[in-house]
Amino acid sequence: MPDTGQRGRARQRRNRPGRWLAYLFLGLGAAVMVVPFVASVANSLKNFAQYVAVPPIWVPDPPAWSNYSQVWERAPFGLYAWNSFLIATLAVVGNVVTSAMVGHALARMKLPGKEVLLAAALGTLMLPTVVTIIPNFILYKHLGWLDTMLPLVVPYWLATPFGIFLMRQTFLAIPRDFEEAAALDGANPWQVFWRVHMPLAKPALATLGVFTFMASWGAVLEPTIYLTSPEKYTLPIGVMSLQGQFMGNDQLVTAAALMSLVPMLLLFLLAQRYFVRGAMASGLKG
Amino acid sequence: MTTIEDRVEQGRRPSLGDGRRDGGERPGFGQRAWATVFAFPYLAHLVVLTAWPVLALAYFSLTDYDTLSSPRWVGLDNFRRLFGDEAFWRSLLNTAYFAVLFVPTQTILALLLAVALNQRLRWISWLRSAYFVPVVSSWVVVGYVADAVFNPQFGMANTVLGWLGLPPATWLQSPVLVIPTLALVAVWKGVGYMMVLFLAGLQNIPEELYEAAKIDGASAWQRFRRVTLPGISGTTFLVLVLSTITTLQAFEQVYVMTGPMRGQPAGQPNGASEMTVLFMYQQGFEFFNMGYASAVAWVLFALIFILTMVQLRLQKKWVHYA
Repeated sequence: MPDTGQRGRARQRRNRPGRWLAYLFLGLGAAVMVVPFVASVANSLKNFAQYVAVPPIWVPDPPAWSNYSQVWERAPFGLYAWNSFLIATLAVVGNVVTSAMVGHALARMKLPGKEVLLAAALGTLMLPTVVTIIPNFILYKHLGWLDTMLPLVVPYWLATPFGIFLMRQTFLAIPRDFEEAAALDGANPWQVFWRVHMPLAKPALATLGVFTFMASWGAVLEPTIYLTSPEKYTLPIGVMSLQGQFMGNDQLVTAAALMSLVPMLLLFLLAQRYFVRGAMASGLKG
Repeated sequence: MTTIEDRVEQGRRPSLGDGRRDGGERPGFGQRAWATVFAFPYLAHLVVLTAWPVLALAYFSLTDYDTLSSPRWVGLDNFRRLFGDEAFWRSLLNTAYFAVLFVPTQTILALLLAVALNQRLRWISWLRSAYFVPVVSSWVVVGYVADAVFNPQFGMANTVLGWLGLPPATWLQSPVLVIPTLALVAVWKGVGYMMVLFLAGLQNIPEELYEAAKIDGASAWQRFRRVTLPGISGTTFLVLVLSTITTLQAFEQVYVMTGPMRGQPAGQPNGASEMTVLFMYQQGFEFFNMGYASAVAWVLFALIFILTMVQLRLQKKWVHYA
């Protein structure tokens, strides 16, 4: 976060009580954020008797570590994880490449009807998934795409409005000198885009990538509607389907749900600043 | 921004895309052709994911369609039926109730957190991360994490109520508490995101304004009231509209937390948490009344459209840019 450095420190010294108040408030808030996760980790390490015990047992002793291996052994958890991973990766690659292409066309190329396209992108923002899901379901049904991963991947290969805005903004800010040098070397527009502009846009690409991954990894509505065979399930709907399979052993389903968070959490810890940047970018429209 | 760019572009005639070697005249390799190639994914998007849904929605909402037999024209019957459908009105009321609880709570908390975070504190990045973890968690994860708190038999919330000498509650299984509980969990999941939006807004307020206010002897509260609040009115407005639009689309949370997770149809108990998108989902994908569900989609679209228009209109009038 761009901090105010010196000025911030000066403010800090003058505002002792305010600072303690801030710490107290933030600390309490952070506890409210984290404690439920800790409690659910504890839940995932209970055996059934401990899980349903009243009054509740907070720290399971001994912890039932085997809950986690059971999820892998008794359910196709690995398969769900693989499906999620494959779909999310394809979605990320598709959205990053195509949104960058379109953003590039809108920012740097002579495109007839550019203004119309930009206005249309704003209009498309007003058509969220919940509005378009019925006609799209009918379309995919006629294309024979139901119960395949295509409806979960192909839309990302057609660029998303958020991606287009973000990449257009980014490419507008790149100085012209680079592409002119490249053009002198005889590069065609694709080469300029791919070899000159894309490397310069890495932070924005990473931002778009992590946001696409998050959207795809966590999606519930689309997989619920489009996937019917259990062996094609992604993690969120796969985990929910374990509810029936484990017959009330919610501690196992909790373990599965928490495991489905791990890749997302790792990505977040590694790429935190891109998540923050993306959140800020979504606010730039205002 | 666009216009300046465009002018610069027009000023430089023999620019890049013409590719010095082909002079820009060769068909198929001219600058416009290249630009069209680059824009192609979005042109396809506009046809398949924008034009098709809108036109198809218009058509199917005037038909009776179960996806197996071909659509049967019924005119405005779906809309007539919809506006007389008590379950639909109830779902709209539930959505509004959820929004009334969720939007202000999340906005105020996000603002307070951002103000507290907008100073040089130790552990600041860890604190900020803590608020962002629920944001990156899927609703399925959040559903199970929330169960550790709101499970009526062995959740923490009832233990805390017990310490306070209050009777236990059944939370998501209570017709009275289900929507407030959902709103509370939604705030928990979303507040970190909105907090970051506010942080971005706060950092755009020039430090000089605070210094000037201090010199004039303004108290901390006065500085907040007279400098911070006007300075972030744009962000506040955006957060309010974004949260309201999100609420209108709320599906995954309600579906996960009131339905499959508990091994029951969503919207329980007894339709108390039935919201508009869930109503549409059930009509379309459980009862296969695609025509009827399309009519609901129109209502959702109209509401989102109106909200966005209100945003664009009022932004200029109300918002005070620092």
